[in-house]
Amino acid sequence: MDQWEYHPPPDLESGLSERLRNFPRQPTMLVYAIRIVTAMLLRGWMRLYHRLSIHGRNNLPDQGSFVLVCNHTSHLDTLSMLCAVPVTRVHRTFPAAATDYFFSSLPRSAISAVVINALPFDRQAKGAQSLSVCGELLKNDGNILIIFPEGTRTTTGELARFRSGIGRLVVGTDLNVVPCFLDGGIRAWPKGTAIPRPRKLKLRIGKPQNYGHLEESRDSVRQICEDLHSHVSELGSES
Amino acid sequence: MNMQSALSNEIFITYVYIAAAMLGSAGLLIGILSVAGKNLSSVWSTYKGWLIMVPLALGTIFLGREAIIIGVALLAIFGFREFARATGLYSDWWMTGIVYLGIAALAVASYIDDPRQGLPGWYGLFMALPAYVVAAIVLVPIIRNQADGQLQRIALAILGFLYFGWMFSHVGFIANTTYAYGYLLFLIFAVEINDIAAFTCGKLFGKHRLRENISPNKTVEGSLGAILVSLVIPFLFSFSFPHLTTWQLILIGLIVGVGGQLGDLVISYIKRDIGIKDMGSAISGHGGILDRIDSLIFVAPILFHIIRWVVGIR
Repeated sequence: MDQWEYHPPPDLESGLSERLRNFPRQPTMLVYAIRIVTAMLLRGWMRLYHRLSIHGRNNLPDQGSFVLVCNHTSHLDTLSMLCAVPVTRVHRTFPAAATDYFFSSLPRSAISAVVINALPFDRQAKGAQSLSVCGELLKNDGNILIIFPEGTRTTTGELARFRSGIGRLVVGTDLNVVPCFLDGGIRAWPKGTAIPRPRKLKLRIGKPQNYGHLEESRDSVRQICEDLHSHVSELGSES
Repeated sequence: MNMQSALSNEIFITYVYIAAAMLGSAGLLIGILSVAGKNLSSVWSTYKGWLIMVPLALGTIFLGREAIIIGVALLAIFGFREFARATGLYSDWWMTGIVYLGIAALAVASYIDDPRQGLPGWYGLFMALPAYVVAAIVLVPIIRNQADGQLQRIALAILGFLYFGWMFSHVGFIANTTYAYGYLLFLIFAVEINDIAAFTCGKLFGKHRLRENISPNKTVEGSLGAILVSLVIPFLFSFSFPHLTTWQLILIGLIVGVGGQLGDLVISYIKRDIGIKDMGSAISGHGGILDRIDSLIFVAPILFHIIRWVVGIR
């Protein structure tokens, strides 16, 4: 008789905290179940407590991988965008989240990995490496990456300069980049407060942009960042 | 079984004292030995695991029947999950899903009343569930219209359900018996003492290997020593079940002594065949859940049915 072949997951021997920080993650039924339930609850909560309204949802591409970029005023940005994508795609929506903050402790890692499905992004030492993880992720069809190109939450409400990462990620590729703007985040949950206030939120989703025609160079990267910056701030000034 | 009956139950109280005394003296011993200059870091982490597990187990039993049934079901689910991950069955969500549902159904059968007799725990359903779960598992390839590699999947799922689900869930069903505190607490204590005795006797007198292709560290001397200890334990703990005769106590001792070590060996050859060292890393210093409950899985159903035949469970 032939031997059976066993295929244990590559992270079998690692502990829980390590497994939560690993990326890409192994899909497990328990995690998917928790995530789908929390995604539903989150949608209800955002509608009722924050009266979240989403405009331009039909701008989201139906197929293929794409990147969502948004202004960053509070944690509600990520949560609102998770509510904007179709619920069937929540397992393939990955908000890039700072490793030093969202994966700093076991409970935080658990929420980031299980509920948010965050992609651990090292914004200091291994920025280039994290960016290549994002690139690999987007090569697989049907993944959605959420990026905040400002790199951190603003305290003033002004849209800060975009960091070059987003430009380096999409330059010369056929990836669509969808600019978004969340209005009301800074009033609802400003940096440094523990509990969000019941303020109204409005998410505007713009037309997808494509930078496949640009050559890979520093100039085009800067051009992309400026272009996306102007699209996002345009969405912000619409109201 | 509930919180009040636990507090007024002498058997439960006695076991709490025994547990405290054992943990205390073990801690003291390890402390003295490490002051004396022995390197005991692995023993320490194992001990710390016990410091968490013992209060958790006693606390669950204190909370009562519902908590015990839920706790056992959770252990079975997470134990099976370790098995499914280690064998690669975890990627088949239909198979694992059916096993999870089956384990949940076992918990429900242990919880609800028998509709004919009105007593807690529907024994007939509990014993009939394997037929339905196995039927559901073997149906999956038909629904999928697929044959390639399906035998391995159904075999792993059926073993997973019967061994880690159904056999282990007997521990939860014991909560429905008249002498639930005595049986449950004795079972857990005796199995773990048997485990420790095998380890200690092996370290002290071990020369001849027991099953060198399965678990190279186990010895014949350790195994015999553990059986001897396990034969004495029912007499020391005979307050748990005052209605049993001497012969019945000897029988229980033999089941725990032999069965406990067999359960250990079963998990050992499963791990060895897959090629892993531990089933998981859920408990610090102990490995995975299955590495800890391995003996209990084997002993619980066998002891339960023997007691049921010999003296009855109600």
